[in-house]
Amino acid sequence: MAAEPFARLADRQHALRTALRALQAAGPGSPDFPGLLAETDKEVEAVMHARRDVEAARLTVPNRAIAAGTAVAALIVVIGWFDGWSLLSVVLALAVAAAVLVDPVGRMIWEPRARTAAIVAALVAVLLTPLANGWAALAVLAGVAWWAWRTLR
Amino acid sequence: MMDIDPVKALDGKIERLKKDLKSLGNRLDHAQTEAAQQQLSTTNQLRDTTRKVAKTNERVTELADSVHRLERLLVALNRKVRAGETQKADFDSWPEIEKPLIARILAGQEAYARKTFTPQEAKDTRKAIADYDKAAMAAIDAAEALTTLPPNAESLWRKKYKQWHTITRKQRPDAPDENGHAKDTAAKSAGNEAVAEARELIRTRIEDAVARDLLFPAWFENMLGPAAPPGKADDWLYTATDVVLYRLLHDVTSPANALGAPPQEQGHRRTLHDRLIVECADYRKA
Repeated sequence: MAAEPFARLADRQHALRTALRALQAAGPGSPDFPGLLAETDKEVEAVMHARRDVEAARLTVPNRAIAAGTAVAALIVVIGWFDGWSLLSVVLALAVAAAVLVDPVGRMIWEPRARTAAIVAALVAVLLTPLANGWAALAVLAGVAWWAWRTLR
Repeated sequence: MMDIDPVKALDGKIERLKKDLKSLGNRLDHAQTEAAQQQLSTTNQLRDTTRKVAKTNERVTELADSVHRLERLLVALNRKVRAGETQKADFDSWPEIEKPLIARILAGQEAYARKTFTPQEAKDTRKAIADYDKAAMAAIDAAEALTTLPPNAESLWRKKYKQWHTITRKQRPDAPDENGHAKDTAAKSAGNEAVAEARELIRTRIEDAVARDLLFPAWFENMLGPAAPPGKADDWLYTATDVVLYRLLHDVTSPANALGAPPQEQGHRRTLHDRLIVECADYRKA
């Protein structure tokens, strides 16, 4: 299963190399350079998406596992160290865990790893909750901010 | 009879004086009333006169309007009468002005409109092109790297991807034309010669039509009036030549509207169009 995205990425990289040869042969001054550039740009996008697929294939299971772990830990923390103020961070972490469980890798090209970061931050927040109470919510928020920044940039 | 009593005599005098005063007062009253009446009648007369003047004014305005209508009617009538028996001038077909001549004129106008590079601009453009080419090479190298990167080296992927995108958003500037200047100069002088030639031909035909009292086409008369205004014949001929040349250059064939639809974009044609509109309005008014 993991071999297929790898093969596809290799294919795409090969195609990009071919397109680049044509682009280099034409040179920036030639009249068909803009057309070739647009074509190459498409190839580059295809390579980026192939790489995302590889990442997605690699990170789907870990992301889901961490999300499930976060959810379970959140329940344990809520029951074991119950506190009104701690509920904030636990509920936020639970929301992140639910989002990652449903869609572990997202759709954007940089999203799989950004989601890993976000869910790890949520897990850390849950584990910190007995010590830091509601302040651990900051860790969740930091994880979400990191995810948004890395995804959109 | 004499009054012996001085008091009585004085009384009589006072009595007379009183009577005199009364009659004087009466006369004064009378005079006042008369004056008031006179003033009233004068005011009335003045008002009447004002009304009359206003009426006359209106009448004059009406008359001016009807004179204007009559004038236009006369022009149209004149035209109809002449159309019956006079020959018509043909300003619509110009076999003697051939396509290559028109093409030369248009090429000359284009050359005038074209922006010429100053040496500094040419230098800047060349520098921009060199920058672009360098950026393109760097971007191609970055894309080359994308073909060999392992999939989990994310920061490298990001860096190279960004580098690649520096080129896709940019446009390579057009190279400055080295001998464009000389070519433009040649086109300009050829265009000027062609304009002079075409103008000569058109002017000859218009002068001929004027000399033989031919009936002008409707668009011509709409634009330039029924004849040259007195004392301005030469200017009028010049403008008329320009109008005909404009129709020829820009393929205007409308039988009523001499210049056709006004051009939307700025440029030589728009300038000429606006100039002709203004000049012809002057000739029609004169």
